[in-house]
Amino acid sequence: MSDRVGGWLDERTGWRLVWDGVFLRQVPKVNWAYTLGSATLIVVVNQIITGILLTIYYVPSVQDAYATVDFISHDLTAGWLIRGMHHWGASAMVLLVGLHMVRVIYHGAYKFPREITWLSGVGLLVLTLAFGFTGYLLPWDQKAYWATVVGTRMLEVTPLIGDWALRVARGGDDLSAVTLSRFYGIHVWVLPAILLLLVGLHLYLVVRNGISAPPKKGE
Amino acid sequence: MAPMDRRKFLSRATVAIAAAIGIGWAVPGVAYVLSPAKKKTGEAEWIVLGAADRVDIGTPSLFKAKVTKTSGWVSTEAEVAVYVVTHDGREFRGFSNVCTHLGCRVRWVADQNEFFCPCHNGVFSVDGQVVAGPPPRGLDEFPVKVEDGQIFVSLEA
Repeated sequence: MSDRVGGWLDERTGWRLVWDGVFLRQVPKVNWAYTLGSATLIVVVNQIITGILLTIYYVPSVQDAYATVDFISHDLTAGWLIRGMHHWGASAMVLLVGLHMVRVIYHGAYKFPREITWLSGVGLLVLTLAFGFTGYLLPWDQKAYWATVVGTRMLEVTPLIGDWALRVARGGDDLSAVTLSRFYGIHVWVLPAILLLLVGLHLYLVVRNGISAPPKKGE
Repeated sequence: MAPMDRRKFLSRATVAIAAAIGIGWAVPGVAYVLSPAKKKTGEAEWIVLGAADRVDIGTPSLFKAKVTKTSGWVSTEAEVAVYVVTHDGREFRGFSNVCTHLGCRVRWVADQNEFFCPCHNGVFSVDGQVVAGPPPRGLDEFPVKVEDGQIFVSLEA
């Protein structure tokens, strides 16, 4: 039955070629350290699912932000779980991309022909940190507020454009409703859009170039 | 049963693990989205109005109380006004002070022994029945109970 449906679809879309290319491609004999990229991808999916669910109730205004997070955490069924998965998933993301990067450096897997994979990965690393920084403010509690005061102030020491950079990040002189609103917009629209593009490129290149075998002794 | 080869086993195990992870997202996700829809029913919320001995026999007394209504994370305070009537000091009834015609506030006129609505001259008896004027039905009645000398009203019904 599913073979018939699959065949019908394959004649019209050629999905089997893509499926086999992604899931049945040849891989060298590798170890568990090679699963870090896939693990990161799973957490990315987790962040997207739980993030979308959080936006159903979260309201990014200074009056409502904390109250809605409180409502999500304490009044809704499984709200604590959805928020918890997003919260811990964020930490897991930073950890996993870090380990993934260390693995690639250690094996020299960034070399020809995988330089673009590496560069897109660098972009994804920066993106992950930007997600973490903007997302940290959104609960609008004391920790979020003061962490962002400190975090944005770091921009101030930039030579020449420090004051300007600080004002751009905060949307004014102080952390305010404007900061919260734009951090939210960046966190849920700008960064995910770039993320999807870069992840798409990164995965395409992984499939196209294949993964590098662990270097042998003397290589 | 034919022995399963390694490839088939790993393929099925992968699908099974993926399905388990998918369920792990779907079940809490659906519960989370649907949870505001489940409304607590069955238990009426009783609001304290005041001391029962404030009510004179045969004369409706107006009680006011503040109620906090919560919708999601927003709480709003509203004032409820209820006329409490008793004829024997044991049985109490509570009536809304909102005219059933167009929603003006009725008041008790003691020397006429009736509720009077100033907007269109609606008149109700001491037991909330329409006596005269345009109101289509009697005053809305709320369940009232007395416990330890305090009057409670339920606005649910």
